[in-house]
Amino acid sequence: MNRAFRRTMAIAHKEVLHIIRDARSVYMALGLPVVMLMLFGYGISQDVDHIPLSVADEDRTPASRRLSEGLVAAADFVRVEDLPSADDAEAAFRSGRAKAVLAIPRGYGRDLGRGLPAVAQLLVDGSDGTTATIAMGDAAGLVQATSSGRAARASLTEGPRVRARFNPGMRSAYNMVSGVIVLILAMVASLLASLTIAREWERGSMEQLFATPVSRVEIVVGKLIPYTGLGFVQTLLVLTLGSYMFDVPIRGSPVTLFVSSTLFLLAMLGTGLAASIIAKSQLVAVQFAMLGFVHAGRDAERLHVPHREHARVASRAVDGCAGPLLSDDPTGRAPQGQRARRSCR
Amino acid sequence: MSDEVSVRVKGLNKRFGAFVAVSDVSFEVKKGEIFGYLGANGAGKSTTIRMLCGLLSVTSGDVEVAGVDVVHRANAVRHAIGYMSQKFSLYLDLTVSENLEFFGGAYELFGRAFRKRRDAVMHSLALDKLSGELTGSLPAGLRQRLALACAILHEPHVVFLDEPTAGVDPGARRNFWRLIRRLADDGTTIFVTTHYMDEAEYCDRVGLMVAGRLAALDTPEALKRTLVPGRMYELLGADAAEVKKTAKDLALVGVEPFGATLHVRVAEGGPDAATLKRELSSRGVQVANVSDAEVTLEDVFLCVVGGAEKPNKVPEEAKAS
Repeated sequence: MNRAFRRTMAIAHKEVLHIIRDARSVYMALGLPVVMLMLFGYGISQDVDHIPLSVADEDRTPASRRLSEGLVAAADFVRVEDLPSADDAEAAFRSGRAKAVLAIPRGYGRDLGRGLPAVAQLLVDGSDGTTATIAMGDAAGLVQATSSGRAARASLTEGPRVRARFNPGMRSAYNMVSGVIVLILAMVASLLASLTIAREWERGSMEQLFATPVSRVEIVVGKLIPYTGLGFVQTLLVLTLGSYMFDVPIRGSPVTLFVSSTLFLLAMLGTGLAASIIAKSQLVAVQFAMLGFVHAGRDAERLHVPHREHARVASRAVDGCAGPLLSDDPTGRAPQGQRARRSCR
Repeated sequence: MSDEVSVRVKGLNKRFGAFVAVSDVSFEVKKGEIFGYLGANGAGKSTTIRMLCGLLSVTSGDVEVAGVDVVHRANAVRHAIGYMSQKFSLYLDLTVSENLEFFGGAYELFGRAFRKRRDAVMHSLALDKLSGELTGSLPAGLRQRLALACAILHEPHVVFLDEPTAGVDPGARRNFWRLIRRLADDGTTIFVTTHYMDEAEYCDRVGLMVAGRLAALDTPEALKRTLVPGRMYELLGADAAEVKKTAKDLALVGVEPFGATLHVRVAEGGPDAATLKRELSSRGVQVANVSDAEVTLEDVFLCVVGGAEKPNKVPEEAKAS
C-alpha cells in the first residue's frame, strides 16, 4: 500500500513538473480565470437597470400621472421622453430610444374613478429578451395594482412586491462569479486532463510506464491529484477576485462549496481523462473534451437565463457552486435558477 | 556469463487476427549474456520483446523471465526487468535528474537509496555533468544513454533494449555498446533487438528473425561458419552478370553486390584469390582485383533470408563498413 502510494506520488510529482514547465498550461490555469472574470464582470453585464421608458399618456389625468411616475419610482425605468400617442411606440423602439413604452389610453382616470377596470398597456421591446423579461416582471404587479378599479386608491407600495430572494440587488456579478468558477473548472479539468494521457500515448512513454511496477490506477490517480489541486487554486482565485472586484459574498457554508466544487471538478476531470484514454491523440482528445466543456458551459449559462427544467446532474453541480455563495440557508441548498431570480414573498 | 538461465521462451506464438507475427519461437538466454535479436523491420522483433516484458499478451507458449512466469504473472516481472522502448520515451520537458527521479519513484527507489543509485548510474554512464539539463536539449546519443540509465536504475536482472541505437550517430553507438558490454560483465542479462548488422557482432549470441520465425540462433562466428561456409572474396571492377555466368565452372556459391564491389563466395576447398582471378580472366571476365573478404553478419542475413528478401532498412553506414 505504502509502495503504491509512493508510486502514485511519483506520477503526481512528475505531472506537476509538466504543468509548471508548460507556459500555456500555467496561463490557462491561472491567467484565464482572471481574463474571464474581467470579461464577464466588466464587459458583459447582465444587469437590467435604467430601462429607457417612453410614456404615451393620452389620458393626462392625475391618475395616469400617478401610474407613470409610480412605475419610474418603483422599478428600474428611466423616463426618456413623452410620446403624443401610443401609435408612436413602434417608432420609439425602432429608433432605439426606448426599450419600454407605457401607453395610457384616454379615459383611464375616468374608469378608475368609476371603479371600472381601467386598462393601461406596457409595451416591451422583445428583441432584448433579458430586459424584456425583467421589465415585464417588475412592472406587471405595479400596473395591475394601479389600474384595477378596486385598488384605485391604494398606494403604490401596497401591491404585491417583487423581490429576488438570494440576490436582492439582481446583481449579475453574483451569478457571473459562480458561473465563471464552473466554466474554469470545466475548461481546465476537461482540457488539461484530456491532454495528459493522450500525450503519454503520443510520445510513447505510456508503454514505458507499463513496463514499470506502476499500475494503471496509479497512473490515473497520480495524474488527477495535481489537476484537482489546480482546480482548488482556481476556485479560490475566482472567489477571491470575485469578492475583491465585484463584492460577491460567501453567505453559505464554505464546506458545501468545497465539496460541491470537488464533485464537479472530479466529474470534469473524469470526462477529460476518459476522452484522453479513448482518443490516444491530443487533438482528438481535446475535441472530445470540448463536448463536455460545452455541456457544462450551457449549464453555467442557465444561471443567467433560467430554465424551468433542471434534471441533469451537471446542473446540480452548478447549483451546488452557486448555492453556498448566495444562499444564507445553512444547508447551502441551491437557489434554483428560477427561485434565485424571482421568488416572491 | 553463468549457467543460470535468465530468459526461457518455449513455443512462443503471437497472432493478430489472421496475421502471424511470431511463430513457434524457442530459446534460452543465460545470465550476463548479450543476446541479439536480428531481423528486418516487421520480422517480429518488437512483438517478441514486448511479450517478454509482459506488455503484450501471448497467443500461446511459455515465457519465463528472471524466474517469473510472464504469461500468467506479468506484473510480478516488472521489478526484475528494465525496458527501453523503440521510440525514445522519456519526458523532454523534464531535466535529466528529474527523469531519473521519476523512474526511480516508479521503481520504488526513494531517499538515500535512490540518490546513491542515481549517482552511481550517472557516473558509470558519464551523465554526471548533465543533471540539470532539459532532456529535450540533449543530442540523440545522450538521450539514449539517459534512457538506459532510467532502465537500469533499479538494478534489473534483465534489460530489454528495443532498437536502442536507432537514429544515433556511429560514434555514440560504439560508446553505447561499450556500456552495454560493461553492464553484461557485471551480471546483467541483455536482450537487444537491432537491424544494424555490425552491431550484432557485439552480441554473445544472435537470433535471426525472418517473418516471425527464429531462422537461426548461435554466436556470430558460428553463424558465419555454418551458414556461410567456404571462402569469401571481394572483387573489384567486375560485372555481376558476367561473374554469375561462370558460377557453375568455378563452384561459386554466392555472388552479391557489396557497395561498389562484388562479394563472391566459393565452396569449401575452392580456389584461392590468385587462382580465382586467373580463372576469371581466362574465361574473359574483366576483374581489376580479387582479395580475401571477411564474412559479415550481413552475408549471413542475406544467406538466410535469400537474395530476394533483403532487410528493407539496412542503414548506409552498416553497408559501407
